[in-house]
Amino acid sequence: MKLNLAALLLGLSVACTGAGHSVESPAPAGASAAQSEQEQQQEQQQEQQNQEDENEDADANLGGTMEAAASVDLVMSEIFPAEIVLTRGDTITFEGVLRDAEGNRVSGARWGVFPMPAIFAVQSIKTEVPDSYLLWGVGPGETRLQAVLVLSDGSEVEYEPLFDIPVTVKEWPAARIEIDDPAYGTYASSVFQLTGTVITTHDTEHATAVIAWWSSDPEVVSVNGDGVASFNKAGSAEIRAQAEGITQVIEIQVTENPVAKVTLGPEQSEVRTGDVVRMQAELSDRAGRSVDDAHVAYSLSALEGPAGGAVVYSDGAFVAEEAGVYRVMATAGGRAATAVVSAAPRSIVRGAELIGRGAVSYVQTSDLWVFEGRDGRDYAYTGTHAEGGGQRMFVWDVTDRTAPTLMDSIVVDARVVNDVKINDDATLAVITREGASNRKNGMVMLDISDPAHPVVLSEFNDELTGGVHNVWINGDVVYAVNDGTNAMNIIDISDPASPKHVGRWEVRPGEEDKNLHDIWAEDGFAYLSYWDDGLIILDVGAGVKGGTPRDPKFVSQYKYPIGNTHTAFRYGDYVFVGDEIFNCAECTNGPRGYIHVVDVSDIEKPTEVARFEVPEAGAHNIWVEDGLLYVAYYQGGLRVVDVTGELRGDLYAQGRQVSWFHTAASEGEGIKANSPLAWGPHVFKGYVFVSDMNSGLWVVQLEPPSDPLLP
Amino acid sequence: MKFGEMMKRVGLMVAVLSLTVAATAALYRAPDPPARYWVYVANESSDLVSLVSFGPEGAVLERDIPVGIMPMDIDGAHGIRVEPGGKHFYVTIAHGTPFGSLWKFRTSDNELADTATLGLFPATVGITPDGSLGFVVNFNLHGDPLPSSVSVVFLPMMAEVARIQTCIKPHGSRINHAGTRSYSGCVGDDQLVEISVDKMEVSRRLLLRPGKEQLLTGEPPAPEPGDGRCGPTWTLPSYDDQYVYVACNAHNEILEINAETFEIERRFKAFGKPYNLAGTNDGRLLVSSNKGAQSVSVFDIAKGEEVARIATTQPITHGVVVTPDNRYAFVSNEAIGAVRGTVDVIDLQSFERIASVEVHHQPGGIDFWKMEPLPE
Repeated sequence: MKLNLAALLLGLSVACTGAGHSVESPAPAGASAAQSEQEQQQEQQQEQQNQEDENEDADANLGGTMEAAASVDLVMSEIFPAEIVLTRGDTITFEGVLRDAEGNRVSGARWGVFPMPAIFAVQSIKTEVPDSYLLWGVGPGETRLQAVLVLSDGSEVEYEPLFDIPVTVKEWPAARIEIDDPAYGTYASSVFQLTGTVITTHDTEHATAVIAWWSSDPEVVSVNGDGVASFNKAGSAEIRAQAEGITQVIEIQVTENPVAKVTLGPEQSEVRTGDVVRMQAELSDRAGRSVDDAHVAYSLSALEGPAGGAVVYSDGAFVAEEAGVYRVMATAGGRAATAVVSAAPRSIVRGAELIGRGAVSYVQTSDLWVFEGRDGRDYAYTGTHAEGGGQRMFVWDVTDRTAPTLMDSIVVDARVVNDVKINDDATLAVITREGASNRKNGMVMLDISDPAHPVVLSEFNDELTGGVHNVWINGDVVYAVNDGTNAMNIIDISDPASPKHVGRWEVRPGEEDKNLHDIWAEDGFAYLSYWDDGLIILDVGAGVKGGTPRDPKFVSQYKYPIGNTHTAFRYGDYVFVGDEIFNCAECTNGPRGYIHVVDVSDIEKPTEVARFEVPEAGAHNIWVEDGLLYVAYYQGGLRVVDVTGELRGDLYAQGRQVSWFHTAASEGEGIKANSPLAWGPHVFKGYVFVSDMNSGLWVVQLEPPSDPLLP
Repeated sequence: MKFGEMMKRVGLMVAVLSLTVAATAALYRAPDPPARYWVYVANESSDLVSLVSFGPEGAVLERDIPVGIMPMDIDGAHGIRVEPGGKHFYVTIAHGTPFGSLWKFRTSDNELADTATLGLFPATVGITPDGSLGFVVNFNLHGDPLPSSVSVVFLPMMAEVARIQTCIKPHGSRINHAGTRSYSGCVGDDQLVEISVDKMEVSRRLLLRPGKEQLLTGEPPAPEPGDGRCGPTWTLPSYDDQYVYVACNAHNEILEINAETFEIERRFKAFGKPYNLAGTNDGRLLVSSNKGAQSVSVFDIAKGEEVARIATTQPITHGVVVTPDNRYAFVSNEAIGAVRGTVDVIDLQSFERIASVEVHHQPGGIDFWKMEPLPE
């Protein structure tokens, strides 16, 4: 398509709402406007020449809006703001009209405004004035506002830039600063990190404010730019916190440091990599009395081994990733004590032996559940996924671990049977449906009193037509992940032939932007893997917040920046939380994502303390039993991790991986050969059952540990 | 009547009708196609777009183009639209975490050009004749029954420039030939919604609830017990923009609505849950996919009557598109479960199914790309 546009005139008026906006000093907009008048004239002449040259073609080709745009000689003479600054929540309305050189409106030409990147919502306003756009400052940040002239000949479209303006959306004004109280005694010769929160006029935490700190008397308290306060000598000083024009002052009284002696224990430790040593510094004054509120700083040096081979945390927890000899130092009030930790290699690697296979070669395999049936035999039920048509649940007799035997299958109207769960007394199975032909998905209840040949009891899709991705059976209720609403639906299955809805729980009710992926419930708590909302813990009968299985109550939430929270499994004081990440920069050979170890010893304050991450693969479903974490690590196969004792830091680097099994099928024994895509592990009676998307069911057994006292 | 029994009866009816059509058609042998025709079809449960050609050797699956982000979930390639001029095609991806998206592909090499994140379950796409704007319905099929929206996307930059709240479960987005009005049906609350393309706002609403059809000035009245449903799944502006045809999927009717007065002028008795619509560009024929009856129906628009019903090769007949020379209709059939769906080719002269090709799981959205002359 040939463009015959010479130039244009766009009259722009700007109307703003709210008090916090400003349109900065006018400047020419777009490349044309930025040029000198002479250059513009030259360009116009050239464009006119081009236009004349192309008139014949244009007459033949142009139609619709392009015809209108091409038939006029447009001149850009208006100017646009060089910059737009507005406050969060405010709006600016653009009302633009394209006119030709005579000032006549060009009815066929179109222009549009786009934020790039789109961190702002831009939409047309409901007005009789055409070509009106509303710029709405949704959240603080910076972007660019681009406007383009749309040219088309009725069948093709091209666009020309009109202007490109930087836009800044400022946070609501700051109202106050809340300074946190010092966590330790304000003793001389100690250091403290000052912290505070800037609160906006809307009573929200300010998103962009940075607090600057000053001391009225640096000889008493000196503060660096990051808010690290050094209490230098006894005395009094005012600490001033400033942000966004708001000032908050606190007075700090520094007293003489009473610490006269520091002792650190244990003085000598012999551990393995990955073992956490709790270093205990005891402080006492000259009279030998204990000092409990003085700050202790821990540091570390390597006597043997790599310098960065171990870590000591601010709470005194030591853990080594590399074998070596490390000296830990504790200092307080100018006193110090040391201790030595010798870390030997963990050396816990165990082989994993293939015991049996239930190969599936024409359809992808999804989740599994292994159980002892009412007939006393052992069974594995496996779901199926999209490739090949995921409409079945397979029934395997796995009593003979060496020869899983396909007994039966259940066909439902679905294209993915993602999840399979069995109730505690092995009388009922619940399987999920996605991709149903009538788009009414939901879940299916199976009578498994004859576990080798399950029978469909009922189907349930009320409110669940969008599909159910995962379920959990908690007594006589099922928690279902609702693909449509991203809520957790609660279904009464006390009469499994006639399930009934009894409740629903969701994060941020009324908001659409959320994604529930999985649910696991145990001992009165439900653990919801809520993608970018992280891990959410509900009381479903634990007695912490008054929740019941049918009426859950929120307990706590742990979310982290990368999000993608996919699965969670409680074991002891920890919840093991897995990510699932596709399409990342590192995802060249498949997904990524790792296991976050979240300490829930205080269930209301979940804290991430450790991680297990295989660098070259992505985590999927997990199981934890007898001190071992089993992770189906997609292309990384099955990984087994020692999670005994206290966990801290990088478990992979610490050598806590016990075993690895490559769930790769031989040619013809899977939907794809030599391509492990481990989906889920289930430990049952000493064996590890693993479903692999590309190859079906695997039965694996770990070789005994070399030292029976070790994992 | 139990579902299975009902399906048997429906199947019998289709079989009888097919035999009738087949007997009529037995005297007629469809001539070889005068050109090679190309269509794109979105396979919703395989996350693949298939490129299908049809020529003298029949229908051929030429190529599959992967779409979607999460290989472990069905992302749901639902609607597809080739832009005027044919340089790009656009696919709606229904599911994300949680929002769906619109994907833009080049037809020259079938490579992804750009994407735009939209609302919940973006479904069908209407494109202005100049190719600049896409009107994408955010179907939100499985969410709570709340008013959803139509996203307006500036296609050269794949930037969403407006999100217009319309109704519950909007579907079947189409733009008139003048490029001035966007139409969509509201499966959840029985409306035809018209949007002014220039103003990007709702200009008119027509309540389609059977017996209660009326122009709306506010929100639609709540349905009363006994109210029937239209369930409008598709809109189709006539070739001359004088009418809009709406498939009342739940009421087995196709409504002819005067585009100026916004009044229903005629009702075509339909069959088997009409779902998508396509028309010949001479205003002669209208083709509906009969989603509930494994068939397509051809209507004589002048008479307002069904003139042919042709059985399709698989159930859940979904999409339909007519070639620019008005010779053929291409129809997508979802099938059920693990069975692969198909694309059938219907001869609009003989009203005969003359070709079929298996594609992937749950083919739905379908659109015409190009026709090429056959080699001498």
